[in-house]
Amino acid sequence: MKRFPWEWLIAIVVGFSLGLLYAWVISPVRYIDITPNTLRADFKDQFRIAIAASYASTHDLGRAKARLALLGDSDSNQALTAQSQRMLAAGESIDVVQQVAQLAANLLGGVAQIQPSATATATVSQKTAMPTTAATGSETDAPTIPVESPTIESTPAIVFTPTPRPTHTPVPTPGAPYILIAQDTVCNSNLTDGLMQITVIDKHNRQIPGVEIIISWSGGEEHFFTGLKPEIANGYADYIMQAGISYTVRVAEAGTPAPNLTAPNCPDSGGQTYTGGLHLTFQQP
Amino acid sequence: MPRWIPPLVAIIIGIALGLIYGWVISPVQFVDTTPNSLRADYRADYVLMVAETYHANQDAGLAARRLAIFGGDAPATISAQALQTGQASGYAPNDISMLQELTRAMQAYQPVPTAVESTP
Repeated sequence: MKRFPWEWLIAIVVGFSLGLLYAWVISPVRYIDITPNTLRADFKDQFRIAIAASYASTHDLGRAKARLALLGDSDSNQALTAQSQRMLAAGESIDVVQQVAQLAANLLGGVAQIQPSATATATVSQKTAMPTTAATGSETDAPTIPVESPTIESTPAIVFTPTPRPTHTPVPTPGAPYILIAQDTVCNSNLTDGLMQITVIDKHNRQIPGVEIIISWSGGEEHFFTGLKPEIANGYADYIMQAGISYTVRVAEAGTPAPNLTAPNCPDSGGQTYTGGLHLTFQQP
Repeated sequence: MPRWIPPLVAIIIGIALGLIYGWVISPVQFVDTTPNSLRADYRADYVLMVAETYHANQDAGLAARRLAIFGGDAPATISAQALQTGQASGYAPNDISMLQELTRAMQAYQPVPTAVESTP
């Protein structure tokens, strides 16, 4: 009977180990030309901040979308919203938070459409192209109804895959003051007494996180933000009113003030009264 | 055939198998990479974002801080490299103009030293 060739097996195992040592330790696969979707989470956050800041400057939603797509998020809007809430909780600059939140809100609006460049350079590799776009000067800050911008500049893409090159697209009504569109008395004994619930929405009725609420009363003022209770709604914020005090609420510095808000008295089932709440809805026209 | 030939052949086969496994079947995975490993065009696009923002707010300090994401290089160097990439890649003239503006700003930028409290 022939003996099992242990020496062969041992030699192969030794060789395999040497090969693995070389491939994993001495000369591993080197990633020097990586794509943004492999970045660490905190660097992706930095990228989103840069994208949002750039968008706030250019109002080019198509370009912002293309850049966000490079990060590989399954839902860019959700990623931006979650990031704006994390930034709020971390006490980061409200200006930066608002840029991120604004981009998240405008992503849902779809005010820009991306169409591929007609003259994109032929693909020479399977690498993904950067989202370079051509500025064609259609940018405007006028608070007008968003206009679809299907015009695509045919500037050659850098190389690789054809890339969408949208034109600058106006952002819907930037900076328009929020106004109170609904005020409801809430008599629900299960809620906290004097609960003022605030919902902030945009012109498309989408909730907006990261918006500053300013509530003032005789002798005091407080500032807080929507989006800190995402389990309720992205554009939700609340405040506990004291009975007998008149409050004024406005949304952001430029918002139209909603004055003379007081906690209502509500009847309970036993004929007594308790301090009810209010639900205010502000909208950016 | 010399006795040492078979073990040598076996080791070579093993090394080949190890390399195939380590490089092809299960290569080292990089999932938490840093921006300085990005391909040049992605780096340039990030710098372009910074340039677009700088064009609007003229805040050189903020631009320099955002460029610091790439690590040790000076902001002016990072911006100049992005400008070269943009020119080589056929960026739109408006984008090139903004990268040039950022590069000039970064070349002139002097970081404000942090105030140090004097001790008695």
